[in-house]
Amino acid sequence: MKKFTNLLVKEIKELVNKQLIVSLVMMMTIFYFIGNLAKTEMKKAAATQNISVMDLDQSDLSRGLVGSLQSANFKIDGVQGQSPEAAVESAKKSDTYLLLVIPQGFGDSIARLEPKSISTYTFLRSFSIGGMRKSEILRAVISATNSYLSNDVLKKKVPDVPPDILKTPIKSKDYVIVKDKMAEGSASAISGMVYSQSILIPIILFMIIMYSSQMVISAIAMEKQNKTLETLLTVPIPRTAIATTKMLAAGIVGLLSAAIYMIGMRSYMGGMMGDLRSGGPQVNAVVKQLGLTLSGNGYLLLGLSLFFAILCGLALATILGVLAEDFRSAQTLMLPLMLMILVPYLLSFFADVNTMPLPVKLLIMAIPFSHPFLASPNIMLGHHAAVLYGILYMAVVFAVLVFITGRIFSTDRVLTMKLRWGKKKVVL
Amino acid sequence: MNDDDKEAGMPTVLKVEGLKKSYGKKEALLGIDFEVQAGEIFALIGPNGAGKTTTLRIVSTLLTPSGGKVTFLGHDLKKEPDKIRENISYLPEEAGAYRNLKGRDYLRFMARFYADTPEEAEASVKRAEAIAELGSALNDKVGTYSKGMVRKLLLARALMTKPKMAILDEPTSGLDVINSLEVREIIKRFAKEGISVLLSSHNMLEIEFLSDRVALIDKGLILDAGTSQGLKDKYQAPNLEVVFRSALK
Repeated sequence: MKKFTNLLVKEIKELVNKQLIVSLVMMMTIFYFIGNLAKTEMKKAAATQNISVMDLDQSDLSRGLVGSLQSANFKIDGVQGQSPEAAVESAKKSDTYLLLVIPQGFGDSIARLEPKSISTYTFLRSFSIGGMRKSEILRAVISATNSYLSNDVLKKKVPDVPPDILKTPIKSKDYVIVKDKMAEGSASAISGMVYSQSILIPIILFMIIMYSSQMVISAIAMEKQNKTLETLLTVPIPRTAIATTKMLAAGIVGLLSAAIYMIGMRSYMGGMMGDLRSGGPQVNAVVKQLGLTLSGNGYLLLGLSLFFAILCGLALATILGVLAEDFRSAQTLMLPLMLMILVPYLLSFFADVNTMPLPVKLLIMAIPFSHPFLASPNIMLGHHAAVLYGILYMAVVFAVLVFITGRIFSTDRVLTMKLRWGKKKVVL
Repeated sequence: MNDDDKEAGMPTVLKVEGLKKSYGKKEALLGIDFEVQAGEIFALIGPNGAGKTTTLRIVSTLLTPSGGKVTFLGHDLKKEPDKIRENISYLPEEAGAYRNLKGRDYLRFMARFYADTPEEAEASVKRAEAIAELGSALNDKVGTYSKGMVRKLLLARALMTKPKMAILDEPTSGLDVINSLEVREIIKRFAKEGISVLLSSHNMLEIEFLSDRVALIDKGLILDAGTSQGLKDKYQAPNLEVVFRSALK
């Protein structure tokens, strides 16, 4: 055990070097900085907004519309002039994002029930979320004003009937059913909420599996490149311990690195998506009612799934590391592993594996790394058996890979096995 | 040690019988036999591809033989490689050390595999410090060392645990004259303390200076073996280079 610990400590020391620490600290700082910046921008967008308004009508109705904008937290910046073109030119010179032009006769037209267009101009000065939100708020205000005006007219024309009944005679109540649970709510709002809350999960999985696999493959390749492997193989310690300590050290450092990376990522995403993630208390309640959140057991299952995926990644990376001649070839050998992780990672964002044709579904299920990506939605939707089968499958794959790794390390192959791309064959 | 010592009954440490090794269709060793006695420096000399390194790698348990038998201190190499690893120390020709570790940390890391207690490991490190003579450079990272310094560090690592046998592949490979001389002196000194040495080299002068007995190896076969002087007398040659050429004929 002492010898094992000695080797494990050395492996961790080799992995936790200055480069790793500096890159992690830098990554954390950058994410934290961008996250905070995004948060500030979002706050700015939600705070009082300037809007330039040219009211050529000066009627009660136009003043009412401007008043509605003020109520919606807009700061009105009046533009003087005689034409919309003059208003645009004037707004261009200022730093305003929005311009509203109310034409002459607006109030009278609406009173005669003749539609009259008001013009809104959005100055696209950036592609930031904050910039987009401003025009969304303006549109919402106009929509609310439209609703108010039409209600007003309907009240006058049909005083006995509430305007709402006239405008939307067909009422619908939306229900969402998840297994044996049912709740009233919009499917799209709930899906959006669940998606935004679990968007980090596949990113975390991808990062951890990639990190740890890359570390172990590089560690073995570096032993070969620095000519230290031969010496290590002649010391009195079981060969399997050499492979195991490399995997264990990479697993520990990979998990820690990914955790640190994710703290930064969370800060970044929190800043970018803070608003989107809170779907309002109503949607939150429905999501909870439907059980679309990860419970303690859910997290345990997800953790187990991730753990076995990491083990599979480490074992596969160990075998690939043995095939590498040096650090550079190790990077090339990461490609098949990377593809195996990337395919389920991307699919987790865009596709539903369950609805795919059977051969494609089987192919994806055969990739051990697919299972942790599928675990999160499966747990939320109550498909626990599918998650457990996935874990079992990964355990079997891991056992097979460990057996192969053990065989390689206990024979000459650990020194003689090389994958030469030029010759396109494995030299044993 | 000389032939008289051997005849006087120094115990055999290593016994190699009919050793064969092939890599696929390529046969590297065709069946070689030799023995190494306790405290003896036994050298394999031959050209590139003769089978020297393959032999050393097999004896050091890195490679498994395709045929024949290797016994070290009574332990069969195929059946008990772990027992052999506890008693040998191998220095490959192109060996390196962990660049991110400090010299002393590297020695400590290696010593812990052979020591039962931390004190024992520290004693080995102290011994290595004396062998390497690298002084305060041992507090620097190996990545900053010159080739000669790395070689001295590795030689110190190989000898610090006082193995029953040190297996040294081209121990002075790539070293300048001064460093080579120092390394040879170290090897000679440790052999006198009872460590058997099995080494290989291209350098015939080095072999003459270091070894008690020599085996001439070519194309996977041992052509002849004996003391340097015995071989020179046998082939009526002034040095081992001429001996080797004559043996090839």
